[in-house]
Amino acid sequence: MVFPQSPASLSIVVQLPFIRAVAVLGAGLMLTLAGCRPNETGYFGTTTPRHGPDELWINNAGEPEWLDPNKCADGNGGEILWNTFAGLVQAHPATLEPLPDIATHWDISEDGRTYTFRLRPSKWSDDRPLTAHDFVYSFRRLVDPATASKYATNGHIFQGGAAISRGAAAPATLAVHALDDLTLEVTLVNPIPYFLNFLTFYSFMPIPRHLLEDLAARGIDPELWTRPEHVVCNGPYRMTEWKFRQRMVFEKNPQYWDATNVRLARVRVAMVESYTTALNMYAAGEFDWPGSNTSLPAEFLDELARYHDFHRHPYLAVYYYWINTQAPPLDDPLVRRALSLAIDREALVTHVARGGQIPSASLVPDGLAGYRALSLPLFDPEQARQLLREAGYAKPADLPPIALMYNTSEGHKQVAEAIQQMWKKELGIRVELENQEWKVFLANAEQLNFQVCRMGWTGDYADPFTFLELLTTACGNNHSNWSSPDYDALLRVANRESDPATRLKLLREAEALAIAAQPLIPLYVYTRSQLIKPYVRGIEGNHQDRHPWKHIWIDEADPNAHDQPPVRSGSAEPVGKEAG
Amino acid sequence: MKAYVIRRLLELIPTALIIVLGSFALVRLAPGSPFSSEKEIPPEIRRQLDAKYGFDRPLPEQFIRYVGNLLRGDLGPSTKYPQRSVNEIIADGFPVSLTLAGVALVWSLLLGITAGIIGAVRQNTAWDHAAMAAALVGISIPSFVLGPLLVLLFALRLHLLPPAGWGDLRHVFLPGLTLGTIYAASIARLTRGGMLEVVRSDFIRTARAKGLSERLIIWRHMLKGGLLPVVSYLGPAIASMLTGSVVVEKIFNVPGIGPYFVDAAFNRDYFLVMGIVLLYAFFLLLLNLVVDVIYGFLDPRIEYP
Repeated sequence: MVFPQSPASLSIVVQLPFIRAVAVLGAGLMLTLAGCRPNETGYFGTTTPRHGPDELWINNAGEPEWLDPNKCADGNGGEILWNTFAGLVQAHPATLEPLPDIATHWDISEDGRTYTFRLRPSKWSDDRPLTAHDFVYSFRRLVDPATASKYATNGHIFQGGAAISRGAAAPATLAVHALDDLTLEVTLVNPIPYFLNFLTFYSFMPIPRHLLEDLAARGIDPELWTRPEHVVCNGPYRMTEWKFRQRMVFEKNPQYWDATNVRLARVRVAMVESYTTALNMYAAGEFDWPGSNTSLPAEFLDELARYHDFHRHPYLAVYYYWINTQAPPLDDPLVRRALSLAIDREALVTHVARGGQIPSASLVPDGLAGYRALSLPLFDPEQARQLLREAGYAKPADLPPIALMYNTSEGHKQVAEAIQQMWKKELGIRVELENQEWKVFLANAEQLNFQVCRMGWTGDYADPFTFLELLTTACGNNHSNWSSPDYDALLRVANRESDPATRLKLLREAEALAIAAQPLIPLYVYTRSQLIKPYVRGIEGNHQDRHPWKHIWIDEADPNAHDQPPVRSGSAEPVGKEAG
Repeated sequence: MKAYVIRRLLELIPTALIIVLGSFALVRLAPGSPFSSEKEIPPEIRRQLDAKYGFDRPLPEQFIRYVGNLLRGDLGPSTKYPQRSVNEIIADGFPVSLTLAGVALVWSLLLGITAGIIGAVRQNTAWDHAAMAAALVGISIPSFVLGPLLVLLFALRLHLLPPAGWGDLRHVFLPGLTLGTIYAASIARLTRGGMLEVVRSDFIRTARAKGLSERLIIWRHMLKGGLLPVVSYLGPAIASMLTGSVVVEKIFNVPGIGPYFVDAAFNRDYFLVMGIVLLYAFFLLLLNLVVDVIYGFLDPRIEYP
């Protein structure tokens, strides 16, 4: 046998089969993609559960940071806490109205600042009685600097909370008291009308003090109390297994006060970070519902919207651009308003964001807790040019280029590029795009080291104040350097007002004042798009995207009844993706 | 030989120190903090968080403390997963990456060496072209294309294997295949090239002249020489397989340590970044040493000074 060594001939002969191989592979790819078109059933993937009727398989998009209600500050932890703990009140699954949970009823003082909750007798999952003292312990612990909770500010609604987290007062001075084992009295800084809605948030769940003290006594780090081998909870489910970055398993907690109305015996939660992987697993029936924290990949939204198991609802979050108002030319409100008016928001939502988002030139979404959004033009290039002339920039060349900063993400990049185009086309302004990795971006935003930067804000509670607070002087999340004593005063007065209608009017006045100065440019209100298997029932579309497992059940009898959508949407508007 | 290995092992110490210092400096020079988020944290709380992890101390002091803990085998806490230590996180993820690497390695060697031998022995025949064309395709197709293709075919169309996840044997195949194929392609080309290199050398001619059978020549003499480039390639390849693949572990949601290379850096999870980098460096240095030792067995001309 002869072995001639000729590499030149190799490269030539290799080319032909290679091209053929690519062609074969390409054909294979098309074939498989063709398999993704809606099938005869019209659903994306399997339509029958791969488990018994008392079980649910979902995803939670990643490991939670903390499973301690006081310390948790991320959605992945929140999803678990809302289903393993029960607070004083719970949110109605569709309307989000506060309903009794551990508290059976409550009295509100004349001035609207003091709430007295009557608690039902209930138990922790270790059979120990749950009392008002567990809530006092939790609320004090939330604001105690020693706890180092990232959400300590949530406890600032209680009288004394802010001083305690500053380290200026002892945690025991918090205006939260157990009058007896089943009576809790809390005093707020203001007659906050959204207090009960806010109280459904996970930061305010009770903490099993006895467990933490017991662990400390046994020489175990009490911070580890939420691990499955120790955890004690009081909600509908308790964790029985936690395989790090793989799955968590939750079993119905028989000690939960309303356990008889909890339908699923077991919930299996996977931790899949990649949205595309989660989508594949949904198609294969490994998930019945990808869960509140999993988004659908934006590039597939148009395609997925054609399936019966696709659902969309508005989401309480706003996408906007901060303007750093420190330096020229953006220190001039006329220039800032011109920038806002030159953005074609309809086109942005239809052609770029593509998730059915609601275009908005104002910060507070319309209809939020009865709030009527400001009526502002969504796009007025003529007026924009006029404002720019008034500001003294007759020719576009007079304006220096503006830097637009966004955090690295395909979605944010597309929005930024569209706006770059619009500002160039309508105003002749040159825009330089700067994309930055998230933590670098945050550091620059915090230090006001930018001209224009993108941001999104998710409402913490259903009240306009969750958005309007962003523009107050004291707010650490105000990255515009804009500050107005009049605005701050209006909000202060509004929050002391006990008549809801008058309060909303004052809030609206405040927003009008702020938007006239345009320290930020609102672009659109987010939406959430989800896939839910046809046999899953009880998931209601609500604007905080909270879907307690205890309301969910598996309907095996009628798997294909898609004329009965499992999600009731709060709006007729078709809506879509959220962008983090 | 023994002295050589000991000397090489001693050389690892200054190298490791440089790696620790370099990665510590790089990760701490990056702007941003592990605790920054879009929501403001009160300054007092921020101070508490910094104090808890010792980030309030001067950097040199933090470095000395880190090295001290390192010598005791403590890689420090994780700021992203505060209920776990870096030791625990690696202990959880490393066996997973190890399993995946094992499957990928076996697959890549089987496929790669077989294709390489076929290519070399049947040089310039249809067999050779087919094998090398397949290898070229294997090298050219990135894992983020191959992985989803395999998922579409085996999970979503044929319903033979789960699309992602970890836990039982069925979960190993698709990520293992995806990860192994890339390496198999390189191994095939290296094996073929190595064998063809040896073919014309004197010892093969001698073997032929002695009248040895072609089979014996291929297996005993050509393959041994042909594997030399594969062995030197395998050192770093195994190190990178062992420490997981960022892309493959993401696509298949394998809970190994691969994704930490990217995520821990993005999260500014300082101790986790360091732990992962050190682990990778350790295997890289160790496997390079192993490769050098194996060389001595494969090539009789090599002597250890």
